[in-house]
Amino acid sequence: MAPSNYLILLLIFSFCRYGNLQRLHEKIYSSIEGGAACFRRLNGTHQTGCSSGINGAVGVVHMIKEIIDVQWLMQNATAGPYMVVVSTHLFPDVIEHILEKPAIIAGILLHDNATGSSASFSQETRCPNEYSSSYGSTCSDSAAGGITWNEKGTGLLRRDIPFPIFYLPISKTFEIEKLDQCYLRYNVMDPANQKGRPLCSVQLHSFMFAAVDTEVCLRRSTSSALLTPTKVCDPLGDHNIYYSLFPRTKDNKNSQEITLVTARIDSASLFDGVSPGAASSVVGMVTLLTAATALSQMIPVKDASVYGQNVLWTLFNGEAFDYIGSQRVAYDIKQGTWPANAPLSVGDIRLHVEVGQIGGSLSVYDNTWPLHAFVPYVDDIPAIAEFLNTFSSNLEKNITLTPDYNSNLPPSSLHSFRRTFRNETESGALPEVLLTDFKATFSNMFYNSALDDYDNIDFTYHNITVDNKGTFIPTDALVANGTFKEVDPQVKIARLATVLARTLYQRVAGKAYAGNISVSAHLVDEMLYCFLKSQACRLLQAAEYASSGADEKPPERPAPLYVGVAAVGSTAPVFAGHLLALLTGTQLPLNRTDCYDLSVPGFSQYYLKGWNNSGVCIQTTMNISAALSPAFTIPNYNLKSGEYSTWTESVWQAMWARMFVSSSGVGARVAAVSGAVATLLAALLTYWLQTHAARIFTDAPAQSIVNDDAASGILRTVNC
Amino acid sequence: MDLTRLPNDKKLELCKWYFKVGCLLLPFVWGVNAIWFFREAFLKPPYEEQKQIKKYVLMSAAGAVAWLAVFAVWITIFQLQRVSWGATGDALSFIVPLGRA
Repeated sequence: MAPSNYLILLLIFSFCRYGNLQRLHEKIYSSIEGGAACFRRLNGTHQTGCSSGINGAVGVVHMIKEIIDVQWLMQNATAGPYMVVVSTHLFPDVIEHILEKPAIIAGILLHDNATGSSASFSQETRCPNEYSSSYGSTCSDSAAGGITWNEKGTGLLRRDIPFPIFYLPISKTFEIEKLDQCYLRYNVMDPANQKGRPLCSVQLHSFMFAAVDTEVCLRRSTSSALLTPTKVCDPLGDHNIYYSLFPRTKDNKNSQEITLVTARIDSASLFDGVSPGAASSVVGMVTLLTAATALSQMIPVKDASVYGQNVLWTLFNGEAFDYIGSQRVAYDIKQGTWPANAPLSVGDIRLHVEVGQIGGSLSVYDNTWPLHAFVPYVDDIPAIAEFLNTFSSNLEKNITLTPDYNSNLPPSSLHSFRRTFRNETESGALPEVLLTDFKATFSNMFYNSALDDYDNIDFTYHNITVDNKGTFIPTDALVANGTFKEVDPQVKIARLATVLARTLYQRVAGKAYAGNISVSAHLVDEMLYCFLKSQACRLLQAAEYASSGADEKPPERPAPLYVGVAAVGSTAPVFAGHLLALLTGTQLPLNRTDCYDLSVPGFSQYYLKGWNNSGVCIQTTMNISAALSPAFTIPNYNLKSGEYSTWTESVWQAMWARMFVSSSGVGARVAAVSGAVATLLAALLTYWLQTHAARIFTDAPAQSIVNDDAASGILRTVNC
Repeated sequence: MDLTRLPNDKKLELCKWYFKVGCLLLPFVWGVNAIWFFREAFLKPPYEEQKQIKKYVLMSAAGAVAWLAVFAVWITIFQLQRVSWGATGDALSFIVPLGRA
């Protein structure tokens, strides 16, 4: 055969081998798709979250179906380490047991199950953002007794977990069923003698690059004299969104008195890409967005010169991680640099109203919506008394507001302002009010968790068409014709937003609102759908940039509300900003080029798709600012000082999970022993052959082979 | 190179040369010299240059061992103390480990 034929044969042979290997790999492992891994975050002093080893974590599957299964695992298990498979329903009860003995645990596969719904599920601490709270706060996670806001919190989000955790959403239940079949087949019978048997196992891989704390990981990301540095972590951060009722410019004095109305955009969870934040943040954000929409209709922007008051609506981002957004804004106000085009001074803010966490009680099937106003003053502050009175007089249909004069404020962005402007807030020069739906502990049992989704606020999308002018059907009409009921969250939010808008109208105009503009439950329905169910929704489509090319359809899932890393912008604040522009801005009859060429002080223009998808020029005062902690912008900031948020997120390369049946180990032991025996036999045989060469080979050379002249000649040529 | 084919004066020259090169902070060269000429210095029947070769082999071996000791001590200290040195430890590292202190 010609050499080329050999080559072809060799190639075919190698391809066959490769194909076989692939199939063998597939035969051994079954990939578990659609899981979200817990990852590592770091702050100035600690690392939190999870990481697997560099090759992943392997453990024998142990399904926790009842509490008793954990007790067996902790006391009687022999074949460890184990991969614990547990539902979200049982997780809060078993996690403390599991963390007591981490050595026998390889990892946790957490799954949301359809059958038993969880009563509570929150991985936040019992006092969220405890170390960034202001004077007057008494909540303490470590000390027993007293008020703890998030009573059901496990605190896992702020702990260093010594093993990986993966979360499988309800849509991936079939993966758990597959795993259960494997578990029942191999692991269940005779559990006391698991060791030495083939067992159903799982491997989780979520290796994190960063470690120790933010200082160490930032140092390792930036410095390396010899090699190109490997980035191991990034600061958390994104964008804040703000919008003023009237344009603010450096030289217009009449609208310098500001009422600051704020809410938060972001939520969080332990797992990558799963942070729905329905009750934690979306309800507050939607209330703010719709109230701003109504107020802009009640007071047209062209009447700006008539009024001496302005309203500044602001959405903070990154609040779940020691108030990143609000700390930055408070810091920038102190530095005199926020908002960039017409900086505020703290004295300009006559009242700060925060729409806090108000979604928790919406899951209760009840017409009423009892709200609380936290007022951190014992003295009577006129601005607050007036606001509360107006608010109460505007209240309608089942919503109640109970003031609570208490300096122990729940977690909210007010803490950032109280820390930065302690003199002003303490004296009442910067009066503050916080609206919540709880008094002592969160009514939301799923605070900052993967399960805080649309179900948690009982949201059902009604899918009512919107005409091509963007008109929404008034709430009362929808309730009257039976489309909505008073108990629906859309109706409640619309009514609350109306009250807020009318209260602010009275504050700006100095008289009670007499018109009939109100927030439509139809608009709230659409907006909740966009933030909780699908980005491919009418509102976001209309608020999208009108681009000339073919568009990519947005995914039919909600945008994650986790703040993410500052280097990569996330979509949630962009959506909120565009919605504000579309709903509150002034429509100008301009084409794209003229739209962007226009320059009016205090305004900016956006060319959006609009309701009939043809493109519309919107003039707005909406703007964005950085939500990156001052800790990362102040030169030589001491990251251990605890003054500002120092959260960073670790870099990782891949996250995956797979199941397989691990061998009993007998095969491996037999192979090792037989290998050793074969080597030994071969060595003995060789030795015997060498010593008795003369007997076997008739013309065997003499023993002194090495000293032979011919042989040393060969050695010489080899050596030199 | 096969030492057995070299004349004895060349052997001495070579051994001396290796020792000198080793003086330029190259302990590996000393190590090679000590092992390479060990047979010449101690096992071969005596010859004129052997005494000198023995001297250089011993000096090379002593130097290499001294270096080895220094390295061993430094590596032990570095591995045990790198984490507690913090920024200095990272600055002294050529490859910083991922995912741990």
